[in-house]
Amino acid sequence: MRRRSGALGAGLVAIVIGAVSAASADPVEDKAALCGACHGQRGVPVSKDIPIIWGQQEGYLYLQLRDFKSGARSNEIMSRMVAGLERDDMLALAAFFAAKPWPDTGQPAASEADARAAKTTSASIGCPACHSDRFQGDGTVPRVAGQNEAYLAKTLADFRTGARANNPGMAAFVRATSEADLVALENYLAGL
Amino acid sequence: MAPTVVDGKVLIGTNGGEYGIRGFVRAYDAKTGKLIWNFDTIPDNSVGTWATKDATGNDLHRDIAAEKAALAAGGDPFKTLGGGVWQNPAVDLETRRIYFVVGNPSPDLYGAVRPGDNLYTDSLVSLDLDTGKYVCHLQYIPHDVWDLDAVSPVVITTVLGRDGKPTKGLLHAGKTGFVYVHDAKDCSLIRYSEAMVPQENMYTLPTKDGARMLPGANGGVEWSPMAVNPYLGLAYAINLHQPMTYQVATESRVAGKLWLGGAFKVIPTEEQWGNVTAVDYNTGKIRWQVRTAQPMIGGILATAGGLVFTGEGNGLFKAYDSESGAMLWSFQAGAGVNAPPSSYSVEGKQYIVVGAGGNAQLDYKRGNSIIAFTLD
Repeated sequence: MRRRSGALGAGLVAIVIGAVSAASADPVEDKAALCGACHGQRGVPVSKDIPIIWGQQEGYLYLQLRDFKSGARSNEIMSRMVAGLERDDMLALAAFFAAKPWPDTGQPAASEADARAAKTTSASIGCPACHSDRFQGDGTVPRVAGQNEAYLAKTLADFRTGARANNPGMAAFVRATSEADLVALENYLAGL
Repeated sequence: MAPTVVDGKVLIGTNGGEYGIRGFVRAYDAKTGKLIWNFDTIPDNSVGTWATKDATGNDLHRDIAAEKAALAAGGDPFKTLGGGVWQNPAVDLETRRIYFVVGNPSPDLYGAVRPGDNLYTDSLVSLDLDTGKYVCHLQYIPHDVWDLDAVSPVVITTVLGRDGKPTKGLLHAGKTGFVYVHDAKDCSLIRYSEAMVPQENMYTLPTKDGARMLPGANGGVEWSPMAVNPYLGLAYAINLHQPMTYQVATESRVAGKLWLGGAFKVIPTEEQWGNVTAVDYNTGKIRWQVRTAQPMIGGILATAGGLVFTGEGNGLFKAYDSESGAMLWSFQAGAGVNAPPSSYSVEGKQYIVVGAGGNAQLDYKRGNSIIAFTLD
């Protein structure tokens, strides 16, 4: 499964490299166009398990790029994408995407039962203490409101198994929460 | 912590007790920005005395043999032991000392990787203002595994000493729910108050599936500063009652990332509330206590005119009689009043001012107002 998605990503990257061969004047925009192959040229990712990065918190975006490069966060495609990036490139890309508007993906609001369960879970483990008011994130903490539901599900599952290892605190909170409550939380956050 | 500017110096401290840092307090020259001194809140030898009880004599249920074995195997954990300083120091220009409290060890709940008392986490510390040299300390909870650390700022005031005579004292409101009264000379504990909130199963150790213990990890008393009425000998504190379970997990540190070593979870089925509490710091007795609908976080103000002001997460900003606790007035601010009120005078007229910005920790409604009232 992982290998298949890696091959798909590589294909998309190749297409985009061709598409942006006529380089624009702004080197950040050139690099950002590559990102758009998966994360969406208008901010809506091409697949539901790929995160929205338009309008995401700048500090968070930078830290993830840094962690992909150092190997602290593991993802076959992203590791290749960031391999040639320097710190300044990553900072510029983070600022570029943070300044974009968050896209409307039209994900449905959670059911009343899921919303109720999600609010209870959130109050219990204290999500807003870091993810802030209405889950908008802050600085190095990501916005999770309106994020792609499949990506949220994959991320929380990866925290639970340890596949995502670049934030032990998040892993601890996820492991302290039942899988049923996490599903409700994913539905709720995606629909905000 | 916000900077404190005093006598030509800018004092700063760092947070980071949840991130495996080594905490510090520093003084810079206010004119040039040059570093004058640095004090590591975690000394090179953080082991201490292998204390088995907290400052009030409660058993901490430590496995000292296991900790000693961990120390022999892994060495002193001082470089990643945390010890953030959340709030400003109290400054005594008469003795040229500062007093502050140091926060929790890293990781919060997983103590196996940090053997020893974890000095000076969860402690009152005093330094020389001019040199940054250590003067004295008192550790409230050695080897804390509950995040019941010391975060509310220290207050300097005259208290009755052990001999019953007035002496310079220090007050600190703990997450434990106690108000601690210290001798300013040597940091020693003169007395501690009655518990302001329910304490249950203290200090049961965190477990893999979660152990219930009160207070929860927000306290007791969180960062909220106390206020004092020296004419009445009363300290005013705002409290939280927020039952939680404490879970421990084996986690490796990742530089710069949240590192708790487990999780604290609010128990959704249990009632939560807050208190406004007046403590007689010369006896340790609670003089009066008023229940609030929600756990309290922010701050409190006592005026010389006999009033106490504090706000709540539901937007209510209230005035109480400082001697009796009778509620005298309230105002709905439209967002959580979770900040310390202050008072000032202009042309002989007294004002009370407070921020209504809400609170992230307890998710109280956010706002964007600063509201001033007159005392006509």
